[in-house]
Amino acid sequence: MTVAAGTKTQAEPSRWQKMWKSISIVFESRVATVGLIMVLFWLIVGLVSLVWTPYDPNASDFAQNLPPNTTNWLGTDHLGRDIVSRLMTGTQVILLKTRLPGDSNISIPIGVAIWGVLGSLALGALLGLNAGYRSGWADQGIMQVLDALIAFPRIVLYLVVIAALGRGDLVVIFAIAITGAPGVARLARSLAMDIRTRDYIRAAETRGENVWFIMFREILPNARGPLLVDAMLRVGYAIFAIGTLGFLGIGLPPPDPDWGNMVNEARRNIFANPLAVVWPALAISTLVIGLNLFADGLSEELSRYQR
Amino acid sequence: MAELGSSTAPPVLKLDQVAVAYKIRGGEIEAVQDVSFEIYRGETHGIVGESGCGKSTVAWAVLNFLGANGYVKRGNIKFQGQELVGVTGEELRRLRGDQIAMVYQDPMQALNPSMRLGDQLTEVLTVHRGMDNKEAEKRCIEMLERVYMPDPANVMKRYPHQISGGQQQRVVIAMALLNNPALLIMDEPTTALDVTVEAAVLDLIAELRRDFDTAIMYISHNLGVVARVSTRVGVMYAGEMVERATVEQIYKKPSHPYTQGLIRCVPKLGADKAGSVLYPIRGRVPPPANRPAGCIFGPRCDYVRERCREERPGLRQLPHGSWVRCHFAEEIDAAQWTPTEDILPPSLEAREVPAEPILEVKDLKKYYEVAGSSLKDVVGLGEKRYVKAVENASFVLNKGKTLGVVGESGCGKSTLIKTLIGLEDTTDGEAKFLGFDITNDISDRDTKLIQELQMVFQNPDSTMNPSYTVGQQIGRPMQRFKTVPKNQIRDEVIKLLQAMRLGANYYERLPRQLSGGEKQRVGIARALASRPDLVLCDEPVSALDVSVQAAILNLLLEVQQEFDTTLIFIAHDLSVVRFFSDDVAVMYLGQIMEIGPADAIYAPPYHPYTEALLSAVPVPDPTVEQKHIRLAGTVPSAIDPPSGCRFHTRCPRRNMLPEDGKICEEEVPPWRYATDEHRIFCHIPVETLQKFEPVVTTGE
Amino acid sequence: MLVKDYMTRHPILIPPTTPAAEAQKIMQENKVRHLPVVGDGKRPLGLITRERLRIAPADLGSLNVWEITRYLAELTVNGVMVKGEDLFTIGPDATLEEAAEVMVQNKIGCLPVVEENVVVGIITETDMLIQLADLLGAGVPGARVTVRLPGKVGGYAKIINSISARGWGMYATGSVPAPKREGCWDIVLKVRDVSPDQVVAVLEQVEDCEIVDVRET
Repeated sequence: MTVAAGTKTQAEPSRWQKMWKSISIVFESRVATVGLIMVLFWLIVGLVSLVWTPYDPNASDFAQNLPPNTTNWLGTDHLGRDIVSRLMTGTQVILLKTRLPGDSNISIPIGVAIWGVLGSLALGALLGLNAGYRSGWADQGIMQVLDALIAFPRIVLYLVVIAALGRGDLVVIFAIAITGAPGVARLARSLAMDIRTRDYIRAAETRGENVWFIMFREILPNARGPLLVDAMLRVGYAIFAIGTLGFLGIGLPPPDPDWGNMVNEARRNIFANPLAVVWPALAISTLVIGLNLFADGLSEELSRYQR
Repeated sequence: MAELGSSTAPPVLKLDQVAVAYKIRGGEIEAVQDVSFEIYRGETHGIVGESGCGKSTVAWAVLNFLGANGYVKRGNIKFQGQELVGVTGEELRRLRGDQIAMVYQDPMQALNPSMRLGDQLTEVLTVHRGMDNKEAEKRCIEMLERVYMPDPANVMKRYPHQISGGQQQRVVIAMALLNNPALLIMDEPTTALDVTVEAAVLDLIAELRRDFDTAIMYISHNLGVVARVSTRVGVMYAGEMVERATVEQIYKKPSHPYTQGLIRCVPKLGADKAGSVLYPIRGRVPPPANRPAGCIFGPRCDYVRERCREERPGLRQLPHGSWVRCHFAEEIDAAQWTPTEDILPPSLEAREVPAEPILEVKDLKKYYEVAGSSLKDVVGLGEKRYVKAVENASFVLNKGKTLGVVGESGCGKSTLIKTLIGLEDTTDGEAKFLGFDITNDISDRDTKLIQELQMVFQNPDSTMNPSYTVGQQIGRPMQRFKTVPKNQIRDEVIKLLQAMRLGANYYERLPRQLSGGEKQRVGIARALASRPDLVLCDEPVSALDVSVQAAILNLLLEVQQEFDTTLIFIAHDLSVVRFFSDDVAVMYLGQIMEIGPADAIYAPPYHPYTEALLSAVPVPDPTVEQKHIRLAGTVPSAIDPPSGCRFHTRCPRRNMLPEDGKICEEEVPPWRYATDEHRIFCHIPVETLQKFEPVVTTGE
Repeated sequence: MLVKDYMTRHPILIPPTTPAAEAQKIMQENKVRHLPVVGDGKRPLGLITRERLRIAPADLGSLNVWEITRYLAELTVNGVMVKGEDLFTIGPDATLEEAAEVMVQNKIGCLPVVEENVVVGIITETDMLIQLADLLGAGVPGARVTVRLPGKVGGYAKIINSISARGWGMYATGSVPAPKREGCWDIVLKVRDVSPDQVVAVLEQVEDCEIVDVRET
């Protein structure tokens, strides 16, 4: 039986204090803090690159395949472009902006990876909550469809989507959302099935609340934790996905640099410039590892106080 | 045995000013601050306290089960004269195996679900005593017979999930006694069991104590149970032992104000309706971090004085033998106590209300289909089987009255409520609420009707949505049913909070900041938010401590009077419903066995099942004489309920009818009317039923 | 009157690795004079008594002060307990007389009660004495009369009948062959709620009956 924290008459903590308190959970875990630092590093790099990069990422200003030196800190690629600048700019499309189709140069904020994950969250939560709460035929139906989706190898799915819809940032977002949804749905379903047994859901039902209200206003807020942690992991997968697509050459269209693409191109020139392949690969792995650590540490902390 | 020898025997277990602390992030918490007691051979020492008082921690400290972060901070624990604190390794293992045994609340904690019972039992003997398997098996069967397990040889071959809860507990007790331990620790062993099963297990414990001469430490929060099994009792509060005395002294002449308060909170069967009023203890148990410097009970005590606030009392002995932790114990006279304003329960005088039925139920049936597992069933050709959860329930409930529904697990009371409120639909029968038919599912009902019929749930921890504040949750029904204009919702919610005796500052709180009792109050407020005409309460106080129970029950009474609500109150304990129900219904295996005005149920004529229930309820009053009727066997399955009268397989009064009650097996019993409003579902005629003696009599 | 009804169940038991000093402390604190030593599963291994804890000077003769201290500190009960052949035990279903016999013959004051190689209790001289006292009605107020009879069949019955015919409650009785008198039996009677003189008056009527001792207790 829980005991309340006593009826002390002190001032209610301010909103900043409350926010700090929920964020500071992160710092309780060393793992999560390290992860956070790694992610923040790339975020900052990306933000900086919006206004400044050492050189123009798309300009072939330098000699090709140079090793790291004082002008080009990480060297140049096979077309003589500065790798550092390309790396920095590569962050943008993943994390920071999405280019809209068509010739206009408009971009909407938040990168492709993140939009993709949000998409898979939304779709997956929708399907999973329905399956978990309604159960019975709805459950069976939805899960069978999702199982079928999972059965496809991811890359095949990507290829299908891109072949059908063409290339472009929005298409990649769509592809990521579709491939990520079944996993999220599974998680959401099991959470819904657990939460469904609680008395407050019963109480909502006795009020005659409709099904959508119960799913999204009663169940979802309590499923937030595990779903968000899972989502962070998925950003990592999404970055991999973008990298893979780039590697296969069907990812984000040029000329903006994209880490996966960079790895692909550098791979072809690996004998001429061995290091050029390392840098983008390192970039991908550090960002993904950072996200993983962050998610890991966070979930450990959250579950420490699990009710 | 002569009295000459026994007084010099050393105690089997002696705790001396023991303190147990747990290390947590940033410090430590003292779960137990000062506990001293001793248990002698052949004696049962009860330890009573509410949740959080540290009684289980004491048991674990004895066995060194405190976990990585717990340790005995002060004091010493002597078992058979030898110090237990600090014993590790081989010696500890031997002690635990040979000399000290423990029985837990949940038998599944002690039984391995993947091993056969026979294997688990024989393991105790083969490992500790080096017996060979055959011999061990023989011993185990003998022990199972000792604990009155039906068909022991067969039970040995089964898995734990294949036997009932009461039987599981018997197996655990048998396991504990196999090695003839000197000390047996029982931590709420019967709390999870039904009342009638509990009574049988308690009888068993008393008998075994006599035969094995084991010292028993019996931990419970249930004062009645402790009264039945113990010779001496220790009362714990917030980590300290506040009173220690013999059973008679504790219940007849409690010396510590907390004990006195507890006794006043416990529902009693013996007295009449007026005498069974409950008085809660004001305030709340202090969290370990916030304990007062002086007497820990001080802030809640009626007799608190300056000295109590400054100086913490020690445990001292009073002239008549009890030990009390109170400065002024001699001056306190429980008989002179009068309730103060804030805990005064509402008056129970029957109000003159015109009899206006708002709920009429006739022959209500609810069957659940059992999903068959054979191929035929999947295709739809197999014979359908049903769990007959509720069978032919009929009653009429008048406005402003309270109906208490009592029964053990599986009797169908929860199903009945779920059907009425619409979480399930009815299979057959009629049910009319305010003249409208409510046999349909809730999704088919009109919003206005839903508004008038609301529910309070059992488990305070899951009754609130953890993500929303109290204010939001109480306000939601108002929003949904539009009973109040939007801008006034907050004021209404605050009014309700105040009616629940919670301050306005609870509006912003989250459920995890509330205690169990507070959460339940919020649950009641939420149910009342739309001002329903009928509120169904599904065991709302079963999960709460005794003192909190009393407060909530009084609150419900108050609420009923103030808002003029009708209540249906479900409980598994007859004594709880007594003082505030107007009518009581007793259910067994889906059938209502007896229904009538509350006073009539507790006096003859009884249905034989009611009689057995009444004699099983543990009464915390040693002067009360209670009949000793025990039901044999277990509750039959509802899939294939017994024919005729469903109670016939266990009825102790069958022999009153010709041919040993053959008619009970063949025909469904008629309703016997003792008075216009009191009816009993039995073949035995009313005149015979009236001749039964009352189950509970106060021997004065 | 079997051993199992009068023994002390759940006696204090110690493992063989207990240091001798500790055993002494336990005996002192708990006021017991015998400690059974047990192994796994309460298997009887030996018995420690006060006697056993007295180290003979001869054992220590060859050691110097430091060695003595260390020897004593490290001494466990395993080294000094009664064990093996010298350890006498009795079963719970044996009669009290059998237990008494064993104790007398072997000059020991305590018998661990063992059932199927598990120590289930302990019975001591004191328990026997308590039994003797109980047998003769100790602590109960009444008339205590000792009667001597020749060893003829039926004599006992006559005594008993004469008391019960009066409707008096006979609380205890014990009979033994008369000490110092061949062929005669002494019977001790404890009669309740009656003055000794009344009992004597009745008993004198019985033939061959000689009143040896009368007192009120």
